[in-house]
Amino acid sequence: MAPQLTLQAPLELPPQEVPDYLSRLWSDHLKEEAGAATFTLVVWEPSWLQQQLIRTGRIDGPISGLLNDTLLEAARQAASDLGLPASTAPTAPEVAWALGQQDGQHSADDLRGQFVDRAISAHQPRRLITLAPTLAADRPLETLVAAYCPLSDERSGGGDACGDVVVLRGGMGALQQGLAMLQPLIAAELPCWVWWNGSLDESPELLEALAVPPRRLVLDSSIGMPRRCLDLLVERIERGQAVNDLNWLRLRTWRESLAMVFDPPSRQSALAHVVQLDIDVEGQHPVKGLLLAAWIADRLGWHLQSSSWVEAGSSSEGRGILAEFQRSDGQSVQFRLMPVPVGVSKTHPGALVGMRLICAPADKPPLCVILCSESGGCMRLEAGGVASMELAEEVVPLPNESEEMEMARLLGGGHDSTNPLLAAAAGLAAKLLPS
Amino acid sequence: MPATQTNPLRVGLRQERVIAPQCLVIFGASGDLTHRKLIPALFELFRQRRLPSEFAVLGCARRPWSDDDFRNRMAEAMAGEVQQHQAAWQQFAACLFYEPVDLQQNDDVVRLGTRLEALDRLKATRGNRTFYLSVSPAFYGSGCRALAAAGLLRDPARSRVVIEKPFGTDYSSAEQLNRVVQSCGQEQQIFRIDHYLGKETVQNILVLRFANTIFEPIWNRNYIANVQITAAETVGVEERAGYYETSGALRDMVQNHLTQMLALTTMEAPGRFDPEAIRNEKAKVLQAARLAHEDEPWRCCVRGQYAAGGTPQRPVTGYRQEPGVNPNSTTETYVAMKLFIDNWRWQGVPFYLRTGKRLPKRLSEVVLTFREAPVHLFDAAGGSPTANQLVLRIQPDEGAGFVFDVKAPGSGMRSRPVDMHFSYDESFGEPSDEGYVRLLADAMLGDPTLFTRSDEVEAAWRLYTPLLELMEDAPWQLPVHPYEAGTWGPSAADNLLADDGLMWRRP
Repeated sequence: MAPQLTLQAPLELPPQEVPDYLSRLWSDHLKEEAGAATFTLVVWEPSWLQQQLIRTGRIDGPISGLLNDTLLEAARQAASDLGLPASTAPTAPEVAWALGQQDGQHSADDLRGQFVDRAISAHQPRRLITLAPTLAADRPLETLVAAYCPLSDERSGGGDACGDVVVLRGGMGALQQGLAMLQPLIAAELPCWVWWNGSLDESPELLEALAVPPRRLVLDSSIGMPRRCLDLLVERIERGQAVNDLNWLRLRTWRESLAMVFDPPSRQSALAHVVQLDIDVEGQHPVKGLLLAAWIADRLGWHLQSSSWVEAGSSSEGRGILAEFQRSDGQSVQFRLMPVPVGVSKTHPGALVGMRLICAPADKPPLCVILCSESGGCMRLEAGGVASMELAEEVVPLPNESEEMEMARLLGGGHDSTNPLLAAAAGLAAKLLPS
Repeated sequence: MPATQTNPLRVGLRQERVIAPQCLVIFGASGDLTHRKLIPALFELFRQRRLPSEFAVLGCARRPWSDDDFRNRMAEAMAGEVQQHQAAWQQFAACLFYEPVDLQQNDDVVRLGTRLEALDRLKATRGNRTFYLSVSPAFYGSGCRALAAAGLLRDPARSRVVIEKPFGTDYSSAEQLNRVVQSCGQEQQIFRIDHYLGKETVQNILVLRFANTIFEPIWNRNYIANVQITAAETVGVEERAGYYETSGALRDMVQNHLTQMLALTTMEAPGRFDPEAIRNEKAKVLQAARLAHEDEPWRCCVRGQYAAGGTPQRPVTGYRQEPGVNPNSTTETYVAMKLFIDNWRWQGVPFYLRTGKRLPKRLSEVVLTFREAPVHLFDAAGGSPTANQLVLRIQPDEGAGFVFDVKAPGSGMRSRPVDMHFSYDESFGEPSDEGYVRLLADAMLGDPTLFTRSDEVEAAWRLYTPLLELMEDAPWQLPVHPYEAGTWGPSAADNLLADDGLMWRRP
C-alpha cells in the first residue's frame, strides 16, 4: 500500500508559533472542511536503522520512517557483514548499533512524519505528531506543519474530514525541550495514542513523558531487552493504562491456528489433558514465545510452578527456558522454549519457528498438535516419536502486514483499555522469563 | 446456532473493529423489535466489548416513559439474560436513556436535538449518531424528513439512518421512498436493513463461492441445471395478522430475504471486498433477473394459503381463522415461482423460489442441482442416476452438504448417492451472533456491505412487479390455493416444477 504525502507542502515554523498557526489554519483556511473528531496520534519515530543504513551508504534516502524490502535486505546484509548471528532480525537494535560504529557521511532528505500511510489515513487522525530524532545529537529543534485531507478515492466510504500533521525534528536534547509544546497540541477531548516505534530500552524518560495515562500506548515488545520489554508492559498494564503490543498482535495467526485445531467439539476435551508444550523461536529474544505460552496457560487455567534457563543442545543456539505448570487437576505440564538457528531471519526479533502441544487423555490415544511457521520447517518438533500419536499439523501463515497496517488495525479497534488476554498473558510471560 | 462446547482458546480471539463513540437513537423504542432484538443485540455487543465506553442508546417513542422506565422495561423483557449477566447489565443499563418523541411533532424533534446534545456532553459521544427507524413503514419518509429538517442528518460522517423492512410495498413506492430519504441525506447515510444478511450462513455464500477455487469454474449454466431457494416456516401468522394481511408472503419474504439469497448465489465476483463493489454486483444480477413468463406471470407463480391441519391431538388453525385475519382473506401465506437470469452465466438456468408458513419444517436453504453425467456407465441402486447437489443450509443445522454418487458396496458396479456434510456446529462448536448483532455493529461502524442499496431495492421490486400488478388487477388469474397446515404447500406448486421434469427437494 503506497504511502501518501500530505497535500500541502510542510511549512517550517518556529516552535513557539506552531499552536497559533494551527489554530489559524482551522479557523481561516480550512473552515469549510470538517475537522475529524477522531484522535491524536503521537509517534516516536527514531528510525535509527534507516538513518544508519543511509549514513553508511548501504541504501539511498529519503528517511521515511517506513520499513520496506530494500531496507530489510540491506539490514540483513549489514548484520552478516558486521558478524552478528544469522538469527539476528533486521529490526533488532543491535544492527543499528553495530552500523553506528561504522564510518559514513551520506545524507538524505528527512521526510519522517510527512508520509501518512493510507492504512492510517483511512482512520482520519485529527492530528498526527511525529517526533523524529536525528543522528546528530546537537541538531536544533525544527518544527514542520501541514494540513491533510483525504484523497478523492478515500472519500467513497465515508465523510470527508481533514487533519493535520506536525513534525518535531532534532537532536535528543532539542526534542526533550520540544516536549513542552506538545501538550497544547493534543486535544483533551479526543483520545490520544502514543506509538513508541522504537526500542523500549532507549530514552525511558521521554517514554515516561509522552505516554502519560489516559493516552493509549502502543509499543513493540520484540524491540528491546526482553526483561525491560515485559516489565514495562506489565507495569503499564498494572497502572491501568490502555496498552497495545504489536508483538502480541503478530501472534494473531498462531493463536488463530491453534484455536482452529480445537474448534471441533470432539477435540476440545483434549485441552484438559495437555502434558507438554514446546516452542521454538528465532534467536535470543524469547518474548513472543513466552507470550504465546502464557496465553495458552492462562486460557487453560495452568499455574506456573517453576522456570529456569536451560543450556540448548547442538540443534539450538544460546539458552532456552524450561518451566513447569500445574493443570487445574493437579497434573504437571512441561514447557520448553528453545532458540533455534535460521538461515534468513524474519523482520522482528524472536519470531516463532514452531510449536508443539501434546495432550494425553486417559481414554484416548495421545494427540500431538504441531504448528510450523510458513517460512521454516519444524523437524525438531516432529522428532521424538510423535508420529505414533494422533497428529494434527498446521502451517501458520506469515503475517503480511506492515507496521502501519498493524497500527491501523489498532486504531480501528480503538479500545480504551488493555485487551484482557494480553493483560493476563503479559503478567505470566514476565514470570516465565527467568531472572 | 446452538453452542455445543466452548473452545477456551477461541475466547476473545476475534479482532473486531470497535465502534466510534456513538449515540444510537431508536424510534419505536416501546415496540416489540426493540426489546426482542435491538437491545439484546446491543447488550451482546457490550458484553463482547465491541461498544465504545462513550456510548448511549436513546429510546424514543410516544409513551411518556422516563429513563428508568425504559431501563426497567428492557430488563423485564430480557430477564433471563439480565439474571445471567447482572453486573454487565448494570453497566449497560447506565447507557440507556429515553425521550418521549413523536416524529410528526416539530417541538418534539427540537427537544430531541437538545437531548442529543446533552447526551453528547454526558457520554462524550461526539455528535456521532445512528437513528434507527423501528416504526411503522408509513413513517419512514416523514421520519427522515423530520430528522433532516432539524439538522440531525447534516453531517454525513456522523449521522446515519437505519430503516427496517419493508422498504416500500412495490416498485413505485420504493422508488418514491428512496427519493424522499435521499433528499434528507446522502446514500452513504442510509442503511436499509434485511436481517437475513446478518446471518452467518448467508454471508458464507460469498466466502464459499469466492474463497474456494473449486466452485467458481462450475458455478454457471454449463454445469448447473437448476437452483432451488427455500425459506420455510412452521409457525403461522402469530400476532402479525394486521401487518401480514397487507403484506403476504411475496412482500414479507420473497422480495427481500429470498431475493438477497438469490443475489448472493448468482452475483459475479466483486473486484474487491468492498461494500460498493459487492452491492454493484448484487444490483447487476437483480437487474438481469426476470420472471420466467413476464407476460403471463400466472404461468410461473403459485400462491397458497394454509388451511386447518395438524392432528386431532394438536389441531392447527387455518389462516382465515387466525385472530385479526379477514375470514375471506386472499392474502398468500405461501408463494412459489420460477425465475430466469438473462446473463452469460445463468442464461437458461431456472431458479425456483418458495416460501411459506405452516410448512413441515423450519428451514432456509439454497440447493444447486448440477447437470447429470452425459453417459451413465453404472446402474443406479435407486433406479435412476442422481444429479450432484450442493446444499447451502442457511438455517437450522447451518452448514453445507454435497450429494454425489459412489459405488454401492457389494458385487457389481452400482452407484448410489451419499452426502458429504459440513456443519458449523461440528466444525466450530461455537454459536454465531444473531443477525442484528452483526448488522447493528456494521451500521454504527458505517459499513454498508450487508445493507441494501437503493438500486438493489428497486431492482428487487421491479422483478416482482408483473406479479404484484396481476395480484392487484386480475387476482383471479393468480388464485390462492389452500394447503393443509403442516404440508409442503399446494400441489399446484409441485406442478410448477413437474412441467420441467423436476420436483422440489424434500429436506
